Amino acid sequence: MLMPKKVKYRKQQRGRRAGKAWRGSTLAFGVYGLKAMEPFWVTDRQIEASRVAITRFIKRGGKLWIRIFPDKPVTKKPAETRMGKGKGAPDHWVAVVKPGRIMFEMEGVTEGQAREAMALAAHKLPLKTRFVVRAGNVSSVAAEE
Amino acid sequence: MSQATINLTAETRTPGTKNDARRVRAAGHVPAVLYGFEKTPISLACDPKPLLVVVHSESGHNRILNLAVKGGETASCVVQDWQVDPVSDKLLHVDLRRIDLAKKLRVRIAVHAVGESKGVKVQGGILEFVQREVEVECLPLDIPEFIAADVTELVVGKALRVRDLVVDSKLKLVGNPDQVVAHVITIKEEEVKAPEEAAAAAATPAEPEVIKKGKKEEEGEEAAAPAKPEGGKGEKKK
Repeated sequence: MLMPKKVKYRKQQRGRRAGKAWRGSTLAFGVYGLKAMEPFWVTDRQIEASRVAITRFIKRGGKLWIRIFPDKPVTKKPAETRMGKGKGAPDHWVAVVKPGRIMFEMEGVTEGQAREAMALAAHKLPLKTRFVVRAGNVSSVAAEE
Repeated sequence: MSQATINLTAETRTPGTKNDARRVRAAGHVPAVLYGFEKTPISLACDPKPLLVVVHSESGHNRILNLAVKGGETASCVVQDWQVDPVSDKLLHVDLRRIDLAKKLRVRIAVHAVGESKGVKVQGGILEFVQREVEVECLPLDIPEFIAADVTELVVGKALRVRDLVVDSKLKLVGNPDQVVAHVITIKEEEVKAPEEAAAAAATPAEPEVIKKGKKEEEGEEAAAPAKPEGGKGEKKK
């Protein structure tokens, strides 16, 4: 599961998820990508489940880039505990995703395969997504043929 | 090989706040600015259709635009920069740069792979582009749509470098000739973990190291203190 190696503080405040993802909103590495269309906290487990779904589908066929990282700790109080007594213990990690963020990128597969793989990944995520393709990709056209 | 020019019409607008730019967009235009060539910059409201052709074109954004400003100047220009809404993909703003058709300029041109490499076909590798564009110096009218790179002889471990690209004599490749453009890589298939192993890994999330020095001591105190009974304060109050 993805999580930071070192942190400055164990716990964080929740923050807000207003606005759009102006950074990380274009394809930087691959030819195909999965773009978030709404704001959400994507957990480490969801990212891992999506990654497994993609890699199992493409097998050795392509390369995958994960463009989000769960660097925000989420705390949780134990069950049946009274309120108060301070903030709970860190429970899991989330990536703060805003609309427009490219979450996964792929290369080395046909567009059909990439669509299928991204659809499988999207089913593991709690948010609406869109499949995106890099403009002007002749190499992928040749591979499709 | 060079590309055809595109006609673009525009109106001048008074540069203002972001609300003014929003009004321009609401009217169906794209706010733009025209600059360069040692002339004063002009704020424009452009027709979005030709600009979208350039920005979303398969051959990159190096098309030369014949700009005609209503009641003003006409100029040859290129799209220098643009802003797109990350969700709707609508054009928000465009920077247009005046160019001299007789003067050489540096542009980034897309590299397209031609053929299927041996590394992919025979060895089962993946063709990965390290850089999808290369910088070229040429006259504006000689700018090609793309540079075709023959990758048929590329095998695993070999790379296609800038110096290996075959370009027209009118073009001059700028930059480091040893820089890798594309290479063929192999990817190991992931071992499927046993469900018990995976469950164990998921169930025991280790906490990351806290960088601050003093924090570690606090953590130690916290770890030592969880035996405190819940709601202790409340009981005292009663």
